[in-house]
Amino acid sequence: MKPPAVARLLLIAMAGEHQAEFVAGDLHEEFLLLCAARGRQAGSRWYRSQVLRSVAMLLALRFRSGEALHLMAAAILAVAMPLLLLDRLWRFVYSNIPLKDGLQRAPEFRIVNLVCVCACAAVCGSLAHTVHRAVGVAVACAVAATFALWLGSSITPILYAGAVILAAPVSSLITFAWRKSR
Amino acid sequence: MPKGEALGEFEYLVMLAVLRLAADAYGMRVRQEIATRTGRDVTIGAVYATLERLVDKGLLSAAISDPTPERGGRAKRSFTLTGVGMDAVNRARQDVASMLEGLEFPLSGGSQ
Repeated sequence: MKPPAVARLLLIAMAGEHQAEFVAGDLHEEFLLLCAARGRQAGSRWYRSQVLRSVAMLLALRFRSGEALHLMAAAILAVAMPLLLLDRLWRFVYSNIPLKDGLQRAPEFRIVNLVCVCACAAVCGSLAHTVHRAVGVAVACAVAATFALWLGSSITPILYAGAVILAAPVSSLITFAWRKSR
Repeated sequence: MPKGEALGEFEYLVMLAVLRLAADAYGMRVRQEIATRTGRDVTIGAVYATLERLVDKGLLSAAISDPTPERGGRAKRSFTLTGVGMDAVNRARQDVASMLEGLEFPLSGGSQ
């Protein structure tokens, strides 16, 4: 019998690499005991509640151990910085074209940004050694991409923002999976 | 013990739970022990955050055991009190006992 998948994934994504295995093991053990005593539904409800109420503390623990800070620093350097540099470059290019300064970027510029983000996030994902670290990298890439879009100088269409925020973690996870399969 | 390193209330409870459980002191059992004895709804996150802090302070030591099927193939991390930890518990107990001295319980005027 397995605990609820979404709660399990959330736990793995939020708990530090050092803690995740022990916390997940403890919750799994108690989940099985609860299922035997009170049924699967009660066990699942208890598991979800434990994960949701523990997330903030586990995340704080992860930051305290330095792991989350390393991940965020890597994602900011690899994903947010290139995005911001490209934004500045396009701003410079536009400022040199009469009457174009301050206008929305053309789709081609956004595609270049997206490809660049995917490539950088893929490099990050390929460096992860464990599933847990890969999930952490993916979350950090998504946060870094959001941060860069928020700091960007141009008006950001929702579709483009969504594509960037989704493409960064997905490409990092795909590269990790591809590297693992080889 | 330097200032700021005295045991907090929850830390004290966790230390006592580890002491009671002896060789069986790991996250889930510590959580259950506190929940059963105090009636508090304790989360595993709170227990781990406290255990980790106590390990950092040198009051607890941790050992990792082999993975087992009932834990979904995951390892277990057990905790024991160090010498410094035992001193801290002794001191905390002494502090509480000396503060309680001369007081009568239950206090009148409370809701219970």
